[in-house]
Amino acid sequence: MNDPAQLAIDQWEKGHAIALNCSEFKPDVEEEWLAEETISCYNCRYRRFVGSGIRCMKSLFPDF
Amino acid sequence: MKFYLCIDDTDNLDSIGTGTIAEQIQEKIINQGYGPCSLVTRHQLFIHEDIPYTSHNSSMCFYGEAPDDSMTAIIDLAADHLDNVAAEGSDPGLCVLAFDQRHHYDQLIEFGINAKKKVLSKSDAILCAKNNNLHLSEHGGTGQGIIGALAGVGLRLFGCDGEIKGALKNTVINQTYSVSELKKLPELHQVLDLSTKEPLADSTIINMCNRTKTVLYQHHYVLFVKKDESDHYATISKSEIRKLGGHFYE
Repeated sequence: MNDPAQLAIDQWEKGHAIALNCSEFKPDVEEEWLAEETISCYNCRYRRFVGSGIRCMKSLFPDF
Repeated sequence: MKFYLCIDDTDNLDSIGTGTIAEQIQEKIINQGYGPCSLVTRHQLFIHEDIPYTSHNSSMCFYGEAPDDSMTAIIDLAADHLDNVAAEGSDPGLCVLAFDQRHHYDQLIEFGINAKKKVLSKSDAILCAKNNNLHLSEHGGTGQGIIGALAGVGLRLFGCDGEIKGALKNTVINQTYSVSELKKLPELHQVLDLSTKEPLADSTIINMCNRTKTVLYQHHYVLFVKKDESDHYATISKSEIRKLGGHFYE
């Protein structure tokens, strides 16, 4: 995954770490959670699934 | 009469989810004296840049029982509810099917399966709905949600697609349960081995080792499990279920 605006579909640790420090994190409804850790970009209301991963609709993914 | 009802594209980034709206419609139907209704299933549709969706492109469907003359009342009730609660900027669609067991719904099922792997248009949906005598209505925005709403009914009729909304919320992760204990839950009919698709005996112990869901498989609410390294049955994660996608049911 080279696109800095995206997380690949299985970067669970990174998604958890980013969300823990994100002021905009807001959990989506439970049926849309994907990660095991509740606080995760993959469970956030402001993530959007795209072909190969997720994008942050608040544009808050840090530079990797 | 058996009816199927599905909604799609009712939300925006800050609104309540489509699944919650489906359950609200269901509650209103039951309060009108109709029902019973099934649990709601979540149907994942195609993720593609040409498809406008809020965040995950899924539709929510359930079926229920109601008197033959109640179809108009059910459609009006659902449409009014959508008009009142659908989020700003959303493109809601409603689909209702009065099930006719003499009719072959192959085209509708194929539409649903295609909506998981192809970009479909509103005119495709309108034609399919007309051919199969379904109610299909737009409720604001572009009305693009009619595509997913129709697809959801097709997939629910197909019987091998969709996660059960709210399933297994009350089981504890990393706790073990017997199959017979799990089968007491309304959202679970069978526990199947993922590789053989064979049902497991009631005495089999399952480790609920992750966040998982029951899925619709051959019209039953099924928990798929597989053996771990120590030869014990364990659940498969939601991300794995989603990754398997359509192949999950082959």
